[in-house]
Amino acid sequence: MIVLGIETSCDETAASVVVDGTEVRSSVVSSQIDLHAKYGGVVPEIASRAHVERLTPVVTEALARAGVERADAVAATYGPGLVGCLLVGLSGAKGLAMTWDAPFVGVNHLEGHLFAPLLEEQDLGWPLVVLLVSGGHTLLVEMRGPGRYRLLGQTIDDAAGEAFDKVARYLGLGYPGGPVVDRIARDGDPTSFAFPRAMRDDGYDFSFSGLKTAVVRAVERRPDAATADVAAAFQAAVVDVLVTKAARAVAEIGARGLCLGGGVAANSLLRHRAQEAVDVPTYLPSLAMCTDNAAMVAAAGTFRLGHDGPSPLALAADPNLFLEFRT
Amino acid sequence: MTLLAIETAAELVGVALADDDGPRAAVWVRGSRRHAESLAPAITHVLEQTSTSLRDVEVVAVDVGPGLFTGLRVGVATAQGIAQGLGIRVLEVTSLAVLSHAAAEGGWSGPVAAVVDARRGEVFAAVTARPGEQPGPALRYRPDGLARMLDAVAIEAGGPVLAVGNGARRYADDLADARRSGHVVLGGMALADPGPAALAAVAAGRIADGQAPVPPGEVRPVYLREPDARINWVQR
Ligand SMILES: [Zn+2]
Repeated sequence: MIVLGIETSCDETAASVVVDGTEVRSSVVSSQIDLHAKYGGVVPEIASRAHVERLTPVVTEALARAGVERADAVAATYGPGLVGCLLVGLSGAKGLAMTWDAPFVGVNHLEGHLFAPLLEEQDLGWPLVVLLVSGGHTLLVEMRGPGRYRLLGQTIDDAAGEAFDKVARYLGLGYPGGPVVDRIARDGDPTSFAFPRAMRDDGYDFSFSGLKTAVVRAVERRPDAATADVAAAFQAAVVDVLVTKAARAVAEIGARGLCLGGGVAANSLLRHRAQEAVDVPTYLPSLAMCTDNAAMVAAAGTFRLGHDGPSPLALAADPNLFLEFRT
Repeated sequence: MTLLAIETAAELVGVALADDDGPRAAVWVRGSRRHAESLAPAITHVLEQTSTSLRDVEVVAVDVGPGLFTGLRVGVATAQGIAQGLGIRVLEVTSLAVLSHAAAEGGWSGPVAAVVDARRGEVFAAVTARPGEQPGPALRYRPDGLARMLDAVAIEAGGPVLAVGNGARRYADDLADARRSGHVVLGGMALADPGPAALAAVAAGRIADGQAPVPPGEVRPVYLREPDARINWVQR
């Protein structure tokens, strides 16, 4: 079955053609980083406008690269995300599905992320611990198989990627924060500041809002400190908490693998530390599969279609959609 | 020519299917504010009621605003998806042109001001010397500025101007002086949100006049306002 996936939940306009839920024939992503950089974060109205301009050419390219003129089903993210952005992809997807007389299926963006590693690794052992970290989400999930998840913990305030963006903005490093902090931190001393590791040894939930405040206070106290040192110490604190909890989850569950996902999974220190911290295989998806894309949406959509059937054409966008945890 | 008209520019969500003899079916819901939920099922319903396949549709007409940004995007993105899937084009019609047309249907012969609620205490408005004509460029006004503009139009035309659209109704109190002095006549509810059949009629007229539909990727909502540059840190 040929499934067209569409993803517009935040600042990436993406379309992809995936065959039988596993074979990625095309994956086209139009990033809006350039549009949002000067604001230091994603501006919802700007993102929504850009999706309207980009969705049609992105879908055209995805179909052309896959060498198909239509799909057997259309999958689109319906949440969580920015509501004005979600509505563009959702509406376009419904329009395409109606004209092709093809089933339409709404996809939970978070479930999409959980399907991303399945597109690159064929022989995963279950259960897996998945650490999903991006500008919008920070989740630790036990995955027992496709569609079978248990939430272990999540952030109680800022997402990990949000902390990177906010600290980068404070340090005058620009946007997005993740890649620039990663780069600058390589020349810094991670021990130069002892930033807090909130809740590190306490359950599986995360908290990152206090860390940004601690960075601000530290810089105010030592205004002449090297930016590289601040960045390195900040990054070390985030990664320490993420990896400590993920490794503890792997041990307690007896997981057969640790998997990273989301934009922050591109962080080089996190990738390195995650591999060191566990003695089970670690699955580190490619950068393209970590960040938001539509191949993961098509893959999750293929699964949902087989499992639950098509979604109604009246499906609404749900900006606060949660992953339904089913074991 | 089989035409599918999509109206989501204001609080009304509507769909009409028209052929060379005019609209064959139309459905609309006003005030539900559920554009994304209502639109696709409304399209399916109109097609079913007319025993039409989407593949028979030759052009999609969409109201590109000005109006509610989110509503506009739902309509435009749906029109784009349908046109892309069918390999056909999209005819862009402004909300102000639909309002002006509706005024002409109502029998008015003087100048018409199409006034759309722009939220935040403003309206988008455009004036036509005669109803049904292509409106001039739309501008953004505060209610007092709108009243002054309409006074000026009426004085120049030597007769009252008919103010139609949800913006005219919302700010009716601000137009009270202009109405008392005979410069402004306020359109009724039927002219506040004319609906998808009116859109289809305008679109058919435009096609007859030679306005070319555009490829789906080139359809753009008419915003008439710069984006609010506020970052949303929550729920991304
Ligand atoms: Zn994401």
